[in-house]
Amino acid sequence: MDADFASSPVSVLATLQRPPAGVWRQAWHRFRRNRAGMIGLVLVTLVVLTAIIGPFVAPYDPNDNAAMLRGASNAAPSARNWLGTDRNGYDVLSRTIYGAPTALAVGLGAMLIASLIGVLVGGVAGYVGGFTDEALMRGAEFFMVVPVFVVILAVVRLFGIIVVGTPLERIPNFNLMTIILLLGLFSWPQIARMTRAEFLRLRHAEFVEAARCIGTTPREILFRHILPNALPPLIVLVALGIGGAILAEAMVSFLGFGDPKSISWGQILFFNYQSLKVAPWACLAPGTAIFVTVLGFNLLADGLTDAFNPRVRA
Amino acid sequence: MRSIPVSAPDPSPAKAGQPGPLLAVEGLKVHFHTRDGVVRAVDGVDFQVGTGQTLGIVGESGSGKTVASLTLLRLAPPPARIVAGRVVFEGENLLLQPDKRLAEIRGRRMAMIFQNPATSLNPILSVGQQLTEILRWHTGVSRQAALDRAAELLTLVGISDPAARLRQYPHELSGGMKQRVGIARALLCEPALLLADEPTTALDVTIQAQILDLLADLRQRLSMSMVLVTHDMGVVARMADRITVMYAGRVCETADADTIFNAPQHPYTRALLESVPRIDHSYSGARRVLPSIAGRPPDLLHAPPGCRFHDRCPEAAPECRRTMPREHLVAPGHSVSCLRRGSPGEETP
Amino acid sequence: MGALRFLLRRLAFSAALILGVSFILFALINAIGNPIQILLSETPGVSEEMIATLSRYYGLDGNFIDRYGAWLWSIVHFDFGTSIIYNQPVGELLEVYGLETLKLQLPAILLSTLIATAAGVIAAMRQHGWADFSIVSSAMLGHSLPGFLVGIVLILIFSYWLGVLPSYGAYSTRNLMMGSMVIDGLWHMVLPVAMLTVFNTATLTLLMRSSLVDVLRQDYITAAWASGLPARRVVLHHALRNAFIPQLTYLGTLFGLMLGTAPVTETVFTWPGLGALYITAIHQLDYPVIMGVTMVITVMLVVATLLTDIAYVVIDPRIRLG
Repeated sequence: MDADFASSPVSVLATLQRPPAGVWRQAWHRFRRNRAGMIGLVLVTLVVLTAIIGPFVAPYDPNDNAAMLRGASNAAPSARNWLGTDRNGYDVLSRTIYGAPTALAVGLGAMLIASLIGVLVGGVAGYVGGFTDEALMRGAEFFMVVPVFVVILAVVRLFGIIVVGTPLERIPNFNLMTIILLLGLFSWPQIARMTRAEFLRLRHAEFVEAARCIGTTPREILFRHILPNALPPLIVLVALGIGGAILAEAMVSFLGFGDPKSISWGQILFFNYQSLKVAPWACLAPGTAIFVTVLGFNLLADGLTDAFNPRVRA
Repeated sequence: MRSIPVSAPDPSPAKAGQPGPLLAVEGLKVHFHTRDGVVRAVDGVDFQVGTGQTLGIVGESGSGKTVASLTLLRLAPPPARIVAGRVVFEGENLLLQPDKRLAEIRGRRMAMIFQNPATSLNPILSVGQQLTEILRWHTGVSRQAALDRAAELLTLVGISDPAARLRQYPHELSGGMKQRVGIARALLCEPALLLADEPTTALDVTIQAQILDLLADLRQRLSMSMVLVTHDMGVVARMADRITVMYAGRVCETADADTIFNAPQHPYTRALLESVPRIDHSYSGARRVLPSIAGRPPDLLHAPPGCRFHDRCPEAAPECRRTMPREHLVAPGHSVSCLRRGSPGEETP
Repeated sequence: MGALRFLLRRLAFSAALILGVSFILFALINAIGNPIQILLSETPGVSEEMIATLSRYYGLDGNFIDRYGAWLWSIVHFDFGTSIIYNQPVGELLEVYGLETLKLQLPAILLSTLIATAAGVIAAMRQHGWADFSIVSSAMLGHSLPGFLVGIVLILIFSYWLGVLPSYGAYSTRNLMMGSMVIDGLWHMVLPVAMLTVFNTATLTLLMRSSLVDVLRQDYITAAWASGLPARRVVLHHALRNAFIPQLTYLGTLFGLMLGTAPVTETVFTWPGLGALYITAIHQLDYPVIMGVTMVITVMLVVATLLTDIAYVVIDPRIRLG
């Protein structure tokens, strides 16, 4: 529309202010009206609840394979085993429930690592600039072009051999932690790029200039002015990343490179894929769980994007 | 690709001597249906443009002038909805024509130039591609003939070395040059009516004058009619024969340019004129400050009842808060919509 | 000139990338010790001398830097070494298995681009209509549907329940479909290609729609309408080409993603491609194959990125690769 009244005093005032806490309340207000986002939130809540209270309500112990001794492995869903049993005689429902905490640990763990590295690298690159910026962003690009999944597979397998005979071997779920670490190590560049872009944008934003003019310390500017404003797009990326990491772990485990001692959806698929024809439920249950979780986080991210950028959708 | 042969009869039924204006807009209402409610961007607007005439539509941003001009070609973007009214152009009500017929009129009988030259040319097509495409679609001439004609038009709008320009892409041209290309694009088929929506607002001041001169000159040479939409009183003073002043989706006053500038009736028109700096005024003594209109234009989502201008109007009477004025003639060719000038009222629901 | 400099910089970066990946993997493989030793130490009747001889044969003696140098030297001469498990030149294996992988991925990319463009156009044109809603919601679902789960469900439905399509392999082992190698091969491709297409199409459709919606709002599109151009022309000529620009980057990424997850695809369908070769190699520590496959995939990725960049220049005149 017309540009003539765009620079009225009111709009200038508005840009001078840091986002008040109200920004988050407004975002929540918009988020609530976003159908996709709300469905995502419900799905994610469902997964989180399953992870927390699931172990208390699961009908069987996840390592209880008594059904096999009864000769009831690969049994179809029944009143006794609601989602049937798998080829090892495990109760599919129980194992699927126990997969939820593993999945969340993978998603949150990997993204925690990725966020720490990403925000640090991106923030430094964006704030310092110059040669440091160039070097760090080249590094990030390197990690983005590498065929991540292929490298992770090899590293997981080789690492598994390297630790044999070392004290590391005795750490419970060490293999799973390796996977989480690797996923985190390979997911930070996106966050770094976004952080850098936001820092570059905000470094010269009017309210930051204004803060600088009134003598605010660089530390204060960084933590009170720039970081909170850079947060919304990062939150979206993290939400997407959680889903991505869960999916990646599922694929690694599905190929047989997962942690045999932990119960994850990918593991269940790996153990049961050969008997897909006779016991499809043993694959469909963990498969659905993966789908619901990934969908939940994707929808959540979608809703958040909308909530933080009301301009995108008229 | 379908094309109209060159020899096809002109699709416009209008011919010289036909009674009635070239364009008549009657009771036009365009509403935006948003999540938060209905925005009545254009709410009952009438104006006319005679053959060879230039009508200036003046108003602040948000007065509905841009939406009104886009609606003439049925181009107002969703969620805009044309709720009521007629747009009669060369004898046809454009709001009732099928899309195919409308496409024949667009660019051929009625063309448009846009506010921002930087965004109104397609960045990935060369100037030549953009111009010849339109020409060939409307007239079906050969590629070479279209290129020749495009070059001719570029010369007409004051672009030197047109052959080279035709091969260039928009990002290789300056802002003023882009706007000239935009004008050439509108003139390709020698339209009867040219819509210009803030054609100079996005340009540097020196370029503004050049473009205005160019438009004035072209209008003369091609004997075109023109609708000039602007917020700039200076621009209409220079270009317009007649002026329509809009405020908050309604027409306040319509008259000859002379009348508007010398004997304005509507309080809003007067206020608008007073807020324009004038060289022949000395802003000293009591009138040291350039007057401005107090308050802000109303939020059209919650338009005030009664006259839309009442809360900023120095002459507002109690009745202005309740009754919406209807336009009436105060002199031949001069209509005003103000209760204090004797306009009849329509009760607001 | 600018383009040439850009190309050179890109190539330098790609070379660094390939070197980096190969070095890291080589170092890791080195860190586990002698794979021959690991593989054969528990096999009865294998003496220390045999292991030493074999190690020399596969170039596993000498220090790390020398071996990496030797490996690089032979790679530059297109010699990928000999597979420990298959006892064949790795180069030949890569060619055979690589073609099988591309046989699935290229048709999938092509199909999904076509479908996504069409669906995106329909959705963007009918914005907020029911067609838009159903396209967007199914794309949103498909986008979150992990590819290998789609594969599993496809196999369940079409192979096990309906029994109409083969669930594994690239060719029939006994009776060829209609007695023709070509038809039999195509028949086996249907499910894996469908799986890859479903996954890609969903994401591409979402992207296509959003960038088209964005482009359709631009002034130059209004200007095209105002010039009286017909809908087909405005959408296909003016809007689509602009909307395709952000799509291009993603096509490169998508290809990389497909290539990277080829091990999963090929495990689901027991497809004799690079991914399956890679999995076997990792399990058996067949390090020349591990290195070879990683190199080929990295190079393919680099080439895809390069092609994307070139396509950018062709489609968008504003980019002059400074």
